[in-house]
Amino acid sequence: MHHDYLDRFSRLDSPVHRVPAWLKLACALSLLLITILIPMSRAALFGVLAALLIAIAVASRLPLLSLAGRLLMLEPFVLGVALLSLFQPGGGAIFLRLVARGSLCLFTVLLLSSTTPFSEILTVFRKLRVPAILITMLALMYRYIFVLVDEAERMSRARASRTFRRDRSHMWRARGDVIGRLFVRSTERAERIYAAMCARGWKT
Amino acid sequence: MNAFEVSGLSFRYADRDGALSDVSFTVEEGECLGVIGPNGAGKSTLLMHLNGLLPEKPGDRSPIRVFGEPIRDDNLDRVRREVGLLFQNPDDQIFCPTVFEDVAFGPKQFGSSGGDLRGIVDRALAQVGLVGYGNRSPHHLSHGEKRRVSIAGLLACAPRVLLLDEPTSDLDPRGRRELKALLRDLPITKVIASHDLEMIVELCPRVLILDEGRLVREGPTLELLNDEALMLIHGLERPHVLQHPHAHDRPHG
Amino acid sequence: MHIPDGFLDTKTAAVTMGLAAAGVGWAAHSVRKTLPPRKVPLLGVTAAFIFAAQMLNFPIAGGTSGHLLGGMLAAVLLGPSAGVLVLASVLIIQCLLFADGGLLALGANIFNMGIVGTAGAYGIYWLVRRRAKGLQGQLMAAAFASWCAVVIASTSCAAQLALSGTVRWGIAFPAMAGVHMLIGVGEAIITTLVLATIAATRPDLLREEARAAGAPRYRGVIVYGLLIAIGLALLISPFASPWPDGLERVAGKLDFMGKAALHPLVRAPLPDYVIPGIGSPVVATALAGAIGTIVMFVFAVILARVVTRRTMAGDRESAAVR
Repeated sequence: MHHDYLDRFSRLDSPVHRVPAWLKLACALSLLLITILIPMSRAALFGVLAALLIAIAVASRLPLLSLAGRLLMLEPFVLGVALLSLFQPGGGAIFLRLVARGSLCLFTVLLLSSTTPFSEILTVFRKLRVPAILITMLALMYRYIFVLVDEAERMSRARASRTFRRDRSHMWRARGDVIGRLFVRSTERAERIYAAMCARGWKT
Repeated sequence: MNAFEVSGLSFRYADRDGALSDVSFTVEEGECLGVIGPNGAGKSTLLMHLNGLLPEKPGDRSPIRVFGEPIRDDNLDRVRREVGLLFQNPDDQIFCPTVFEDVAFGPKQFGSSGGDLRGIVDRALAQVGLVGYGNRSPHHLSHGEKRRVSIAGLLACAPRVLLLDEPTSDLDPRGRRELKALLRDLPITKVIASHDLEMIVELCPRVLILDEGRLVREGPTLELLNDEALMLIHGLERPHVLQHPHAHDRPHG
Repeated sequence: MHIPDGFLDTKTAAVTMGLAAAGVGWAAHSVRKTLPPRKVPLLGVTAAFIFAAQMLNFPIAGGTSGHLLGGMLAAVLLGPSAGVLVLASVLIIQCLLFADGGLLALGANIFNMGIVGTAGAYGIYWLVRRRAKGLQGQLMAAAFASWCAVVIASTSCAAQLALSGTVRWGIAFPAMAGVHMLIGVGEAIITTLVLATIAATRPDLLREEARAAGAPRYRGVIVYGLLIAIGLALLISPFASPWPDGLERVAGKLDFMGKAALHPLVRAPLPDYVIPGIGSPVVATALAGAIGTIVMFVFAVILARVVTRRTMAGDRESAAVR
């Protein structure tokens, strides 16, 4: 996973980026709610919403091709669940509308995350009185996701380069081993982080 | 005044190997002291004692005096503010989601806030040559940049001493040059534990040699590091810069 | 099992959000009271760890692969409440940063995977563990509990989709629960393998007393138990009504009438088709689940025995080498 995947465009400058985070979150939630509340019979309104979202995307000066690519990559999430709706009378139409609704919602959240740095979202959470322990966990998790994903990748590759048997059971055991060792390393890393926090005066 | 007075420091980890045995030395204020030795000698353990991280409960008979006062439970705060510790792995040290928040962490713990805090962070980042990096996410930075952010985080606390654990490890030649220049220009007391003997020769007039938890020698860097036999006995070697001195490499300039 | 936005209606989203908030709120309260400060970074790093672990591919067949969910794993390693917080963090970040799972559906996803799949799994684990001793017992309990939790969570997910009118219960339940009875086997195997590795290198991390948030407290058992029971009842009971189809068959044979009341919120969907001899696919799935539970229990015992033996052998080997 490439390091700039997260937060890739959230620090650009545009009218949308400059909107305060809490407002963007509120608008995103409202848009999602509206999208859900549009009855299947008024599908034309989906088009209006789509236009609105595209307008926001343009205003936010986000690279549209990249955005579209990301959206396309996320579609399988929507398609997968929507597929189940096909198995009923009138399924085809329901399926299309579900896909449209799901895609609009995906687009909304994508716009939100691409124009709002994560630490600002955490600040909003803090104001909303989300439990402090959860906010600390989210901050730490955000910081260390890539470190650990990279570590897991390196451990897997190292393991694979020493493995000559390619049968499934061996691969499963190897992966299980990597995950287990990754956890052990994570506990050691957590101890070092605790030491680093204390060294800078962390008050508990 | 002496920055540190250590008399008879001994320590054993409860759950791992490694120990310190009867270590005694002093560090003058303003000096740059090198700590060298093979892996497992106890260099990191020693540094962690100097800023009160170890032992976990200092008790009231600490063998370490920091600027004249022994380390106790009730002055740990002051010790940690005055003595900054740079960890070997910057990924462990930078634990906040953005550079600004991380550099601000220390000063915030010690009571700064608002406009003051902003000023402190900006000055610290400027000192390490990372102006404008406040909004960046740590996982986007290069290794050298992460090192410098870690140092900024320590400088923001306005310490009187910097303890550095392998500061040039994992750095490319440019990163190493920049770090050495940065350290050379910092006027505060420094204790540098490192395998980078060339850097020790350049920055530290005096060294301690640790081996298996014991302080085996202390003295002028040039004298000790030129002693080939001594170096080899303790798992080190005479640095090339002393074997083939270059005109532009001036030791501790 | 991540439900995207647009598939749940407002009432389902609201109810599940309430359930999730209650569960996460309790978990945060419980952790705050029992967690020593030095373990706080561990919680955050474990959340990142679970995320990283979820990304590893476990090849199954012809291009498909399985992944770890990690609810049971987190609960065994850190305790149920810490586990709930870990999974909740993972789901929140997946939603906000990777659009994996909807924002309004976050409540449902957290309830399914973060509470049922984590605290619920731990409850089953704890029950089994009281009778199963040693490392083998621990692995067996974890394997069985993780399978059960995955299946129950998927049932809850199906109920949420059906309650929202997105997919009929007669499709959603057999599809979701059926598939997850298989996926759950993978989860059980992976969880067992991971725990075995940790047992081999750092058994102290698996000792019950060493867990981050302390031993299970009875209050926690009651809170999570109630929460899950209420949640499942709210979500699944509307769909108990198709069962009369099978029940009536049996009732008719036994000359006995008993009909489940229709839930006022939702009209019972009529089963579209019946499988000869068994009844609707819903009943078939429920039967499969019941049989699967027994089969899985036996499988878990065998799995634990095999893995433990290999782990011990590995230990003996490395001890001999040293």
